[in-house]
Amino acid sequence: MQDNLLTEQSARINIYALISRIMMNEVDEKLLELIINDENILSFFPEFFKWDKRQGMSNKDLIEQYLNVDFTNLFLLHMIPYESFYRREDQQMETGGDNPVQTLYNSFDFRVELDEARVMAADHIGVELEFMYKLCESESKALVDGEYKIAGEIAEIEYNFLKNHILEWAPIFLLNMKSEAGTALYHDAADLALEFILSDFEYLSQLKENSFSYEKLGRKNNGH
Amino acid sequence: MYLQSRRTFLKGAAFSVAGVAIAKGVFATDAVAESIENSKFTNTPDTISFYPNQSEWDNFQELDGDDWKRGGIERHGVASAENEDGIQVNNFMLVPTVCSNCEAGCGLTAWVNKDTMTVRKYMGNPLHTGSRGRNCAKGYAVTSQMYDPDRIPFPLKRAPGSKRGEGKWIRTTWDEAMSTIGKKMHDTLKVGDEISKKSIMYHVGRPNENGFGHRVPHSLGIDGYNSHTNICSAGARQGTIQWANDDRNSPDWANAELIFLQSSHAADAGHYFQQSAGLIADARKRGAKMVVLDPRMSNSAGMADLWIPCWPGTETALYLYLANRVLHEKDKNGDDLVAHDFVKEWVNWDRLLANKEYLQKMVGYGYISKMPAGDTYEDFIELVKELYAPYTKEMVIRECKLEGMEHKLDALWEMYIDAGDKIATYIWRAGPIAHRGGWMIARSAFLSLVVRGALRGDIGGTSFHHWHEISVAGKGDKATVAGERPAKVDVWNELAWPPEYPLSSYEMSHILPHLLMDEEWQEKWTKKGLKVPKKLSVWFPRMYNPVWINPDGFRWIEALKREDKIELSFNLSPTWSETNWYCDYILPVGLAGERNDQQSTPSKPEQRIEFRQAVLRVAAEKMGWKAKDPTRATLEAHMKYGLGEIWEESEFFPNLMVHHVDPDGSLGIRKYWASKKDPSRAVTVPEYFDAAMSLLPRLKETADKMYKDEEFPVYSYMRDHGAWTEKTNVYKPQEEELKVDSEYVYAHGKKYAKHHVKKDQFGALWVEHDGRKHSIGIISDDKVLAGFHTLSKKLEFFSEWFAEWKWPEYAIPIYPRNESEYKKMEHIVTQVHHSFMKAPNEFALNTVFRLPYNIHTRSVNSKHLMEISQNHNPVWIYTKDAEKLGIKRGDAIRVKVTDTVSGLDSGYFVGMAVPTEATRPGVLACSHHAGRWKLKDSVSVPGFEHKLGIMGVGAPRYDMTNDGKVGTLKPVEGIKPRHDVWQFKEYNKDLDNIWWDGLSGAWQNAVAPSHPDPIAGNHAWHLKVIIEKAKADDVIGDIYVDYENNFKVYQAWRDELTRPLDHTDKLRRPQHIKRPAVPLSNKAYAVEIKA
Repeated sequence: MQDNLLTEQSARINIYALISRIMMNEVDEKLLELIINDENILSFFPEFFKWDKRQGMSNKDLIEQYLNVDFTNLFLLHMIPYESFYRREDQQMETGGDNPVQTLYNSFDFRVELDEARVMAADHIGVELEFMYKLCESESKALVDGEYKIAGEIAEIEYNFLKNHILEWAPIFLLNMKSEAGTALYHDAADLALEFILSDFEYLSQLKENSFSYEKLGRKNNGH
Repeated sequence: MYLQSRRTFLKGAAFSVAGVAIAKGVFATDAVAESIENSKFTNTPDTISFYPNQSEWDNFQELDGDDWKRGGIERHGVASAENEDGIQVNNFMLVPTVCSNCEAGCGLTAWVNKDTMTVRKYMGNPLHTGSRGRNCAKGYAVTSQMYDPDRIPFPLKRAPGSKRGEGKWIRTTWDEAMSTIGKKMHDTLKVGDEISKKSIMYHVGRPNENGFGHRVPHSLGIDGYNSHTNICSAGARQGTIQWANDDRNSPDWANAELIFLQSSHAADAGHYFQQSAGLIADARKRGAKMVVLDPRMSNSAGMADLWIPCWPGTETALYLYLANRVLHEKDKNGDDLVAHDFVKEWVNWDRLLANKEYLQKMVGYGYISKMPAGDTYEDFIELVKELYAPYTKEMVIRECKLEGMEHKLDALWEMYIDAGDKIATYIWRAGPIAHRGGWMIARSAFLSLVVRGALRGDIGGTSFHHWHEISVAGKGDKATVAGERPAKVDVWNELAWPPEYPLSSYEMSHILPHLLMDEEWQEKWTKKGLKVPKKLSVWFPRMYNPVWINPDGFRWIEALKREDKIELSFNLSPTWSETNWYCDYILPVGLAGERNDQQSTPSKPEQRIEFRQAVLRVAAEKMGWKAKDPTRATLEAHMKYGLGEIWEESEFFPNLMVHHVDPDGSLGIRKYWASKKDPSRAVTVPEYFDAAMSLLPRLKETADKMYKDEEFPVYSYMRDHGAWTEKTNVYKPQEEELKVDSEYVYAHGKKYAKHHVKKDQFGALWVEHDGRKHSIGIISDDKVLAGFHTLSKKLEFFSEWFAEWKWPEYAIPIYPRNESEYKKMEHIVTQVHHSFMKAPNEFALNTVFRLPYNIHTRSVNSKHLMEISQNHNPVWIYTKDAEKLGIKRGDAIRVKVTDTVSGLDSGYFVGMAVPTEATRPGVLACSHHAGRWKLKDSVSVPGFEHKLGIMGVGAPRYDMTNDGKVGTLKPVEGIKPRHDVWQFKEYNKDLDNIWWDGLSGAWQNAVAPSHPDPIAGNHAWHLKVIIEKAKADDVIGDIYVDYENNFKVYQAWRDELTRPLDHTDKLRRPQHIKRPAVPLSNKAYAVEIKA
């Protein structure tokens, strides 16, 4: 059970890290190289893999002429990747210290650094996904240490955060992003993120059914 | 592919790098949250003028305003874990700063909520002795500007491949911007020739600081400073320079008996107005009278004791009439009304009488009938009696068109005489900037004060700003590696100081695009031996929106779009603006609470400085936060606390210079911006401003005592207090005795060996240094006095140098005495003189008055200010004029602009007529401070009906056409309620409550051609216009501009009216008068013009 769990956790950590990074900031050459050169990562970007523009250009040109322009349109100008914008009736956004999601991070002793993120508020999609990444990482550490109870508690936090925040708005945003994307990379990223968070919620729901008890879940899975 | 198998995602475990290497990593622990201390609750204030004691500013608790409505603590108690329904208590830190909306620099305190690190409100700073804890509407609007829903949140760069003006932007970083800009500046300066030192231009709109901006081009070794001054106040400054070699006057409002205003400036809308208005109110409460000369009944005029609506531009005649009566009449005791003691001692009549050649000219001009009998003061008085005798009451009634208002002149005379020498005025915008020869209005206004002794600078009178202002912001040299000021610059930039305007008060900023594009003009002066730049390598405005605010805006657009004329441009701009659209970079810089500047404003007879601060940075630092890079602390703090990537010049320029313009020091620039403490990096804000403000001895002494454990005691004092008054009761400074000992005379911070000091026949003391003569003081009754700043050390009734610089006929206060002199003296006759108005629909348009709640451009998106200012800019027309033309309230009218020099038409704007008794017959009024536009609302948010806004609260959307010859604007859609706001929700709760459309104004500045005054160089703002009812397709806000004609108008004013430098000239400009802002060497001043 331990090995399976840790593989699962490792996948969750890495994918949350990847999608949060892509949604947070412009792609840089380092990240682009990683995506292109890692066949596992590239397999999550099927359209990008086939995209003709990618073949004939240097990574630098690709970034400057296409990817960053698309990022600007998707995350800075045309669309608003912030939870409060989607969820408030007045469609306004809560910036700075008043943001309720920031309060939530604080309550778990996670301090978001908006300057590092270069975003205006803590409920940016990239930050929320990185929060999930941080939680998964903590959960993984607990599992490695054999602290299943703590790992279960963290999984419950993940479940609640996905349910009460990310799933309340990110799917709509990601569908919009997918349809507005001007490059294959962001089209695929939207798809990946959407599919992954839905799938992850399924996974956490299973845990919930077992009262967030890894022991219970393990017994059940073994039974199958 | 819904839904992929969970197994697919297991591939994530096989990434070649771990998540930690991919994730951005934006979570950390935060010191701020832990540093909030318990503080005592503050109970109900006793008075509404309540400010906490300064000692409580770091930690001040206040009950939340919203909660008060629920009945106060008596009913609910104070909120706590146990009492959730209690009244909320805010934990504030009050950080002092300075308003940055207008030049007044009133004190502010930012109330920073320590739990959220947001500024909840801006209030006054009671320690600021000028504003005394008070602010105007603009001061309290700073919160709405800071959290503007359309605030630019990060640096923007023109999208690669797009053209200027297309409106395609990508996000960039400050580092990328600095790298690109720095390289371009480096490469330009590396060439090292004369042209390269004229190819970078820093174009400053509202400085709101005292000298830091000047240091930028100075340290680059370039003549590359430009300002907005020649569209603002250069006319008044010219008149003041001629009298006193000072930049502006400085009244003692509070102690005056007569507040004598020309226009609404000072009392309700202009320079230092909030501070001045309070002091004027104090004086009036005490019994002082107020007179307002203004063709328009402003707020000031409406509440004045007397309103005199002279025909605009003719006020000179009225002032000379007052002088005439003072010279000829006696008081009730039979004594002279002239303040002989003052005039005899402090006016340079002696030099006039000694200059026989000039006196002969005066006879030749017909100013006087014969040479004076002798050289005595009495002979002078006889001369001026004859000189001003033609300015009679009848003449003034005729010239100023005051028929039927004779009684007002009698009332004015009584108030003016009753006030004695306690007459305070502030001659600034309005007349002096509105007219050709407007500077002569200032010249003659001061004469009316001089003859009564009111310009002595004594209690209740009028003095000069030099003595009431402290400029040290450019002097933080001791904190830098260089440790001293940069050397004087050796070149002269014709693009800012063209040879047609050797005496212009300030840079010829309003014709910059014309000069850049006028290749004929460039060729002409190149042939005459000057090295005239044909393009700019880098042009960067700061807090400036020249496209919109200057005349002939389409010419600006043309020039800014030309990448061969301006190779790289960036705007250091706190808000969206029309100019931004045509730049390569938009770099968002701070407003009042987001930047560091030393400012000083001469609003009363004292010497004071104030310190503007980045309040979130200061608050965070006090709570234990430390910037990762101390040279970028403001930027880091703004990003950290959600304001956005907002920076400021006092960190940007040092970093730009040290790391990008001159990284290896080979250009000799780096040392002026590298920190003495750590030469590897730029100087920091505390280092620089501590060094600069330590130049004030009393401040330094006080701060050293109070902050003896701090590394930067003076900085710390100003950080905590925000303002410092170095000296009070600064009266009659010209009468101060200079220190003299057995060896030296001490003046202006220097000492001169006695044997090098020469006295001339008039008592002035002279020394030689820098290869030229300087006067340093004057002997009077065996005392050595400081004197005025002029060469003669006296007030110069006779401006000898002005006569020598080709304008002898105007070297004394003078004005045409009859119609036959209008043409002969055309340089001092307004372009909207009533003699130019022939048909009933021809009018003078009064454009240059401010609206008290707006500042030219920065207030555009403050809902608070927009709400109170909208619909306040119709075209005022006198009731009976409207009747004659069949114009009714609300009618759209075409206002066609025509030039009285060239006879050319400029086009028209369509305004909304409002017939009113509050403007005089024949004169329309429409402030040029309204009529903002945008071409795009920004962009749609896919899937949502709402849009992101650009100037969404203050500017309607227009369609523009321009083909290089004709430009038009047509309104498309007005301002609407906002539901699409994404920033700063807490501050923008009511943006759905916008009930104005902003469609009542027009961009009239674009229709106006540039009218460069041939002497002062300022744009003469007022316009001759012809009005008619709008055509069927016209809508209010339409403009149609023939800017090809406007180009010819500028050329006509330049070529038909100026007296340019020629082969007889050896200097570019008189060296003793100010030539802002970069100190120039003798080499720069020297000129040889080929015949």
